Amino acid sequence: MDNEAQLKLQAYLDGELPEAEAREVANWLARDRDAAALHNELKNTRQALVGHETGIQLPESREFFWSKLEREIQRAEPREAVANAVPWAARIRRFLMPVAGLAVLVVASMLTFNNSSTHVSEMETSDSGAFTYHDDAAGATLVWLSHPLESDPADEDDLDIE
Amino acid sequence: MQTVEPMTGKDHSSADDQSLVKAAQRGDMGAFEELVVRHRDKIYARAFSMMRNEEEAVDLYQEAWVKAWQRLKQFHGESSFGTWLTRIVINLCLDALRKQKRQRAESIEAMDQESGGVERHMPVITTNPTAGLERGELRKRIDEALNKLSHEHRTALILHEFEEMEYKEIAKTMGCSIGTVMSRLFYARRKMAVLLGDLKQQDLI
Repeated sequence: MDNEAQLKLQAYLDGELPEAEAREVANWLARDRDAAALHNELKNTRQALVGHETGIQLPESREFFWSKLEREIQRAEPREAVANAVPWAARIRRFLMPVAGLAVLVVASMLTFNNSSTHVSEMETSDSGAFTYHDDAAGATLVWLSHPLESDPADEDDLDIE
Repeated sequence: MQTVEPMTGKDHSSADDQSLVKAAQRGDMGAFEELVVRHRDKIYARAFSMMRNEEEAVDLYQEAWVKAWQRLKQFHGESSFGTWLTRIVINLCLDALRKQKRQRAESIEAMDQESGGVERHMPVITTNPTAGLERGELRKRIDEALNKLSHEHRTALILHEFEEMEYKEIAKTMGCSIGTVMSRLFYARRKMAVLLGDLKQQDLI
């Protein structure tokens, strides 16, 4: 008997065959002793298992398990809240990025025109990663803008001016 | 054993699962505790039967209840609460077993087990190895035999015989084809027949 026939026999036992195929297998079983023997073995094993799963019980008392579970649920809830809050923080950060960049440019321009006592000025924002460099002598202002690394959203407004 | 909601003093023990789920969805922890009490042993038994390790089973069992609490609002009663929860614990166990399998080296023996190489050629067991056994003894033998199966074979057997899932549903749960489910189930049954037969032989010696 090939593997396909064996699996068909099992499908018949499990009631997974369409009616016509099931009739074919029933006829086959009636005339093939090997097939009938295998069918019988599969049936015995199935009957032995059904309804005889070991009655395993939780090895912890109800009170102990519930107190553990309650603590775990409470611990997991703030994590859930933070996880849900992250997309909003990210959206706000995306909105603030160009605003922060624009602000840096404005401040840089003001420093360029107002600060005559120094030849060189530098300014950096810690969160946006924007950095400006101005040299009066050369009459040049350079501004670098780069995407910031992951940072605490609470730090978004801290401008670090040097 | 009954659970009482501390804030309201409400006794939940007489409520049905559906009412308890609705109350728990509104944040009533007392109702959820009653659900835990009602389903604790069945859910733990499923975790243990799949993992065969008490410590892992307890951890996954707890994780299943935490997930159930977190996802309770997504449960709309398409199945019973017990069935829904059983699916959660089965999926967690399958994930854990897959991780374990990835971590251990794939031996030739394991590959042979997966394809059912040996079982294909085993002679048919003509006598019923469990005939005349008392319920307790039969359960013990089944447990010992299940312990000796690969996790793929054991899971297919558990889902089919204990959870009464159809081939299609098992395939979806285990993430494999229906053909693979049929093979796993076939070799698991054949191996169980041999193992149960061996246990009977040992008794006779």
